[in-house]
Amino acid sequence: MTDERSNIRRIERDRSRFSEIVRGHIKRDLKKYVTGSELIGRKGKQLVSIPVPRIELPRFRHGENGEGQGQGDGDADGRGQGGEAPGAGQAGEHAGQHLLEVELSLEEMARILGDELALPNVQPRGRASVDSLNRRFSSMHRQGPHSLRHMRRTMKEALKRQIASDTYNPDDPVIVPVVDDMRFRSWKDTWRPDHAAMIMYMMDVSGSMGREQKEIVRLVSFWIDTWLRSQYHSLETRYIVHDAVAKEVDQDTFYRLRESGGTKISSAYSLAADIIEQQFPASEWNIYIFHFSDGDNWSGRDTERCVSLLRERLLGGANLFCYGQVKSAYGSGQFKKDLDAALEHDELVITEEIPDRDGILPAIKSFLGKGV
Amino acid sequence: MAAIGPEFEAMQAAIEARARQRGLDVPEIRYELVDYRQLNEIAAFGGFPVRYPHWRFGMEYDRLVKGHQYGLQKIYELVINTDPVVAYLLSQNSRLDQKLVMAHVCGHADFFRNNAWFAHTDGNMIDVMASHGARVRTISDRYGIDAVETFIDRIHSIDNLVDSGAMARARGRPGNAPPLDRESTPRDILGHLAQQGDLSNWQRELLGLLRDEAYYFLPQMLTKIMNEGWASFWHSRLMTDDLLHDAEVVDYADAHSGAMGGDEGPKNPYKLGIELFRWIAEGHADEGDGRTAMEVAFDARRTHNDVTFVDRYLDEPFCRAHGLGVSSEECAKARHATVASLANAGQPIIERVSDVADDELELVHVWSGSELQLDQAEECLRHVQALWGGAVRLFTRLDGRDALLSIVARDGEVAREVGERSDAA
Repeated sequence: MTDERSNIRRIERDRSRFSEIVRGHIKRDLKKYVTGSELIGRKGKQLVSIPVPRIELPRFRHGENGEGQGQGDGDADGRGQGGEAPGAGQAGEHAGQHLLEVELSLEEMARILGDELALPNVQPRGRASVDSLNRRFSSMHRQGPHSLRHMRRTMKEALKRQIASDTYNPDDPVIVPVVDDMRFRSWKDTWRPDHAAMIMYMMDVSGSMGREQKEIVRLVSFWIDTWLRSQYHSLETRYIVHDAVAKEVDQDTFYRLRESGGTKISSAYSLAADIIEQQFPASEWNIYIFHFSDGDNWSGRDTERCVSLLRERLLGGANLFCYGQVKSAYGSGQFKKDLDAALEHDELVITEEIPDRDGILPAIKSFLGKGV
Repeated sequence: MAAIGPEFEAMQAAIEARARQRGLDVPEIRYELVDYRQLNEIAAFGGFPVRYPHWRFGMEYDRLVKGHQYGLQKIYELVINTDPVVAYLLSQNSRLDQKLVMAHVCGHADFFRNNAWFAHTDGNMIDVMASHGARVRTISDRYGIDAVETFIDRIHSIDNLVDSGAMARARGRPGNAPPLDRESTPRDILGHLAQQGDLSNWQRELLGLLRDEAYYFLPQMLTKIMNEGWASFWHSRLMTDDLLHDAEVVDYADAHSGAMGGDEGPKNPYKLGIELFRWIAEGHADEGDGRTAMEVAFDARRTHNDVTFVDRYLDEPFCRAHGLGVSSEECAKARHATVASLANAGQPIIERVSDVADDELELVHVWSGSELQLDQAEECLRHVQALWGGAVRLFTRLDGRDALLSIVARDGEVAREVGERSDAA
């Protein structure tokens, strides 16, 4: 039994070939997944579960048209040699025939995204200032679950004990491990220095930002998050919403909140600057700032204030400042023009228009395409 | 994989002795004890421990393992039609499960040995499958996994284009597949492609191997209801007459009804099959020729396949007794519907027209009451064309009209011509 388990069984090769094919499909339809909302809701701790259409080879088969009864359960694979067998639990055998749930780690999802958009790896600034935990199964314990039993070590211990206690007979080399001989694989924690990074998300939640606009922001943020998380082991995120005043909120509120009223972008920028200055010194953190709005601001005066806030307090320490302008029915789109005019030569500043969901991928590419 | 150990060996001997007393022709059966992953692996491989590498087996395995983990389904046992018969038992099965499964396997083994449609199957199929696997691996190493996989995908798409009626032509050599040194029969389109398709050597060899496998599985597809019915009929007889201890009755009834439950009629092969065999064994189908009811049942399991079996024995009294219909018309309809769904193992019948130019391939979809699923049929036609090389045409019906699908060149478009509305049914 043990021998067979230690080898990679043939079916596992077929299975990984199958998942390669599925990943290929995901890659091909990446845009669909990036611009669709269903993925975010399916985010688990480490895995996203993606529904992909069941991969099916075409066959000559009976269709719907015709006066006949169509076909029975043809099962041309010839599976189940007369034997899926007596017993309960047959129900549900054919459930979910048409959708296949594929579980991908977020890291893998990020890799697919990175491959597709040809995103460069991030070059972190500064020194590696935080410790990140690295857990490896590299040590041996006397207690543990049987699934982690180290057979060879256990037998060796048993042999040692038997030789020492003179119960070992070379002519009849029977070794019987007792509880004390058992050895189990175990992990060792190592800490290694790492770069710290934080993302500051800001969003305009004034009356003109509708559901669809927020959904787009949510999607862009999700993918930015996914990508940057694959680049940094530890990543902090902070969320700010603003209309005429700004406040810091948690992630959930960030996406759900609907306020109304005017828009004073400077309020958000000044709050962001406060938070960053107090909690995330640029010497130790890689700082990414994203702001989304529909491009309407209270006044030209406030926009000027924004520009000076950016110049004086935000851009100095940041790796990147990205502004995504989501098109809405009411937005004038003036803010992006003003930003571009004022900060044209600043390499850290990227502004993008996101007219609709199709604009999501290009925006992500342009935001993250510099690798800083 | 492990041997079953002395306790189960004794159980096996006792069960087989009873089965033989009752008239079953039980050949040598070799049991292997496997865990659910191994069992699912073997099930994904179509019942065999080793197959050629292909992603579809991986997909099936994925489905089975998830189904098992989510508690949606459980395979108790798998039987392979070889000599000796090999059966895999799930090691987690309870003692009662194993007893039930062994009794069930006796029925399958007897069926494999005696049903006429299995007369030509290769008793050595485990080795044959393994050697096919080795061959495909060698070919993949040489010509590239992608090329080989694409080619196998094509064949999988059309591996129902085989002729169940031609299996007897294989007489005198191992395997069900009709020999390729004679002209292939009109429905043996895989054979025709293997003989005359525009293929390189390795492609021709691969097509031959996969055709052999398709023919190996064919008898099982033709006798699903009978095979399951017969095995269930016998496990139920053996268990309730002889083998059950008092303490096991309730659990047995639970397991048995779990498998038989669900749909009446043709949807559950276990259920329809066992009821038909019970019907015969109770003497409802006596022919008045002096045979006992049990002899009639044994003869039926020898000579019929699902279509002829249902056509012959799903008669009006049976139909009424099992609530499939009341009036004569309803019963006739129920029978016809079941037979139609079983015809050609549920696959459309497609034939080659023989009097055409050598470089052309003309196919006819033999009308049996329903149209082809168009998008998939077109896709399959492309695959046929790719294997054939020249122009391929398929006569069929679309929306009640005669139609001709044709494709001239590789990766070309499938042209569709639709004729007048035809009234023929």
